[in-house]
Amino acid sequence: MWDVPLASLSMSDASIEVRDLRKRFGRTLAVDGLSFRVEPGTVTGFVGPNGAGKSTTMRSLLGLDTPDEGRALIGGRPYHALRTPLLEVGALLDAAALHPARRGRDHLRWLANSHGLPMRRVDEVLEQVGMEQAARRRAGGYSLGMRQRLGIAAALLGDPAVLLLDEPVNGLDPEGIQWIRALLRHLATEGRAILVSSHLMSELEDTADHLVVIGRGRLIADTAVADLLAAASGDRVRLRTSSRTEAMELLAREGGTVAVVDRDLLTVTGLPAERVVELLSVSRVPFAEVGAHRASLEEAYMELTRDAVEFTSTPAGTDEVNR
Amino acid sequence: MTAPTRTPAPYRSALHPARAGFGRLMRAEWTKFWTVRAWLLVLGMAAVVVVGISQMGASGSVTGGGPPIVLGPGGEVVNDSFRFTHRSLTGDGTLTVRVTGLKSNDGEALEPWAKAGIIVKSSLKQGSAYAAVVATPGHGVRMQWDFTHDTAGPSSDLGKAPQWLRLKRLGGKLTGYASVDGEKWTQLGEVGVGGLGRTVQVGLLLGTPDHEVVQRSFGGTSARSGRTTVTGTFDHLTLQGTSTGAGWTSTDIGAAGADDPNAGNVPPNTTQVSPTGTYTLTGQGDIAPQENSPDLVQMGFQGVFVGLLFMTALGTLFVSTEYKRGLIRTTFTATPSRLKVLAAKATVIAAITFTTGLLATAVGFTWAQRTLRSNGFKPPEFPDLSLLENPSLRAVVGSAALLSLVAVLALSIGVVLRNSAGTIATVVVLVVLPQILSFAFPLPAAQWLLRVTPAAAFAIEQGKKYYPQVQHNCLPENGCYPLTPYNGLAVLVAYTLAALLLAAWTVRRRDA
Repeated sequence: MWDVPLASLSMSDASIEVRDLRKRFGRTLAVDGLSFRVEPGTVTGFVGPNGAGKSTTMRSLLGLDTPDEGRALIGGRPYHALRTPLLEVGALLDAAALHPARRGRDHLRWLANSHGLPMRRVDEVLEQVGMEQAARRRAGGYSLGMRQRLGIAAALLGDPAVLLLDEPVNGLDPEGIQWIRALLRHLATEGRAILVSSHLMSELEDTADHLVVIGRGRLIADTAVADLLAAASGDRVRLRTSSRTEAMELLAREGGTVAVVDRDLLTVTGLPAERVVELLSVSRVPFAEVGAHRASLEEAYMELTRDAVEFTSTPAGTDEVNR
Repeated sequence: MTAPTRTPAPYRSALHPARAGFGRLMRAEWTKFWTVRAWLLVLGMAAVVVVGISQMGASGSVTGGGPPIVLGPGGEVVNDSFRFTHRSLTGDGTLTVRVTGLKSNDGEALEPWAKAGIIVKSSLKQGSAYAAVVATPGHGVRMQWDFTHDTAGPSSDLGKAPQWLRLKRLGGKLTGYASVDGEKWTQLGEVGVGGLGRTVQVGLLLGTPDHEVVQRSFGGTSARSGRTTVTGTFDHLTLQGTSTGAGWTSTDIGAAGADDPNAGNVPPNTTQVSPTGTYTLTGQGDIAPQENSPDLVQMGFQGVFVGLLFMTALGTLFVSTEYKRGLIRTTFTATPSRLKVLAAKATVIAAITFTTGLLATAVGFTWAQRTLRSNGFKPPEFPDLSLLENPSLRAVVGSAALLSLVAVLALSIGVVLRNSAGTIATVVVLVVLPQILSFAFPLPAAQWLLRVTPAAAFAIEQGKKYYPQVQHNCLPENGCYPLTPYNGLAVLVAYTLAALLLAAWTVRRRDA
């Protein structure tokens, strides 16, 4: 029964689609007319500051919150219409959502029971996330990293084609971060549609192909990562020099816009690299390095959100208000 | 928006798409239950408490050395001591009388169940079979037989008009009649009375129950019962049939010298006959079932009251911890139909608590009965109770159902309140508090509480029959519940269903 290939999966299309989603909690408009789509085979980063509406959107996709307007669809259908949800969507919402007295393996056991999955499948996913040993202990003693791994195991239990992971990197150690990046990339290449939320753009570097950026419940950007980086890099020139003040005065006089990045590092816009080298050489201003600037994802994100939203950043933690 | 760099085919799982049916959902909920060891522990403690406290209660109850008891033809404990003016009747016959008055000699109001009338009784022996037709101050004309049976006849007020009564014997069959004028007769009933010999004693019956005064205050109840004396007047006494002997004589049934030398000390009662044929009987005592003996069935379930607190905790925690930890979202993600989740949770907790409860009540009851037996609660006053017969069976199964219903009630309230402390407090207020308050409140308020709150369900533990033809103060502290066992349990069922509906409504309506 286990290895029988499927003639047809009930799901026609492994995709995630949010259309004109609107959700209000009291006086707060958590999600305000949001639309986006996650295609199979991609890792889509779902980014926005705390309180931007990421978790509400994910809960709407999972049928936990009822949207006031709009639709949240998995494979073209609302979550309630899924016959075997765990086999179609894997979700990690809150890694802390465990009964402390229940063993990790037993947590997966009841989930498996609900869909008639054998215990063999539980052990498979535990192995996949490296929790074979820890899963025999009670969840109350788990570190945040272990909880995340168990949560990911729960999401993978039904081998679903769609994954929704809310802040899965939170609490993982550097090794764990490497592991989850590789895992997500691997799962995407298998053709799954993966939505990963984060309030830190840097966490999604090297992982996401695509980004959906939201702020205050509205869509700010829906773009491929490569395009975003290209746009953010612009025609900036990186300049490393020990005579920062002289260089700044000279280049500004010649029509460049100069920004200080570090003690001896500047970025120049408005002047091509050749012209910068020429000007510095003529004026005998010493420099160590001139080159085209390549923006980091974090910078690109800051640029993107600078004008679009105003928000006050809160210390890193779980997303949104825990209702 | 640019297209993704790779466009692989959408993922196809190799897992068999099992349908997530209700059976699987229940299995998942059962797994949730047994994988939390503390809950198994609470469940075990509930069973231990039910058995242990029932046993402690039984050990503390001792009886013996009371006055001798009188058993009726059905084996039940009865009162059978009254003023009887009688003669013998051999074979068939008809006894007719006109009751002209019934009044109290104590200056107090008459007991509603005082009685003046005629009786056909197997013998003068206490507890012997009989049938009677009587006029009562509070309940009109009645036909009563063999202590436990009672049929209502027409209303009557001896203060305004005399009442004609007639009793006809035909073999073992007795027919009662009533009339206002002695000409037009209304049949009250035709009953078969077993154990009547060819010769029986027939005549005038005068009886009155004891007057009970109950004073209740927080922490204590004092019940005083005093004998009352009444006088009844009769005329037009006729007997058609064959009678041997001198004529009408009088006996105080149950009095010293009658049958049993140890019977209660009935003061000299009197019967006077006037030259015009008016019989004036003065006397004490009553012919009716006796309800003073303790409820032996109920005494085997004293632990249920404490055990239900554990069941409340289980029902509450089974759902409230999920809300507390956010686990409910995982549950609803695995099963988007919230009503199914609620139904599965309720079914699983009901099954677990009922099974455990049944085991505990069956063991607790059986053990308690054995202890009570050795503490003096013996036949014939306390017949052996078989676990597999009513009322024991009903009480054992009903108490398990009570424990289980309380758990489901707690679960439902837990879904609505999503918080352990509030839920447990609510259930305690609904189920436990009324019981405690009923000991303290004035009787009408106490009985009202035990009718309208889920505490009414404790009536299911009652093994004793309360007869309508006996005036009794249904005292909660004596284990008397105003509703019948099944009606009492139905009150809890109604509360539980209402809570389930409310839970279903809120769980669907609210975001998880």
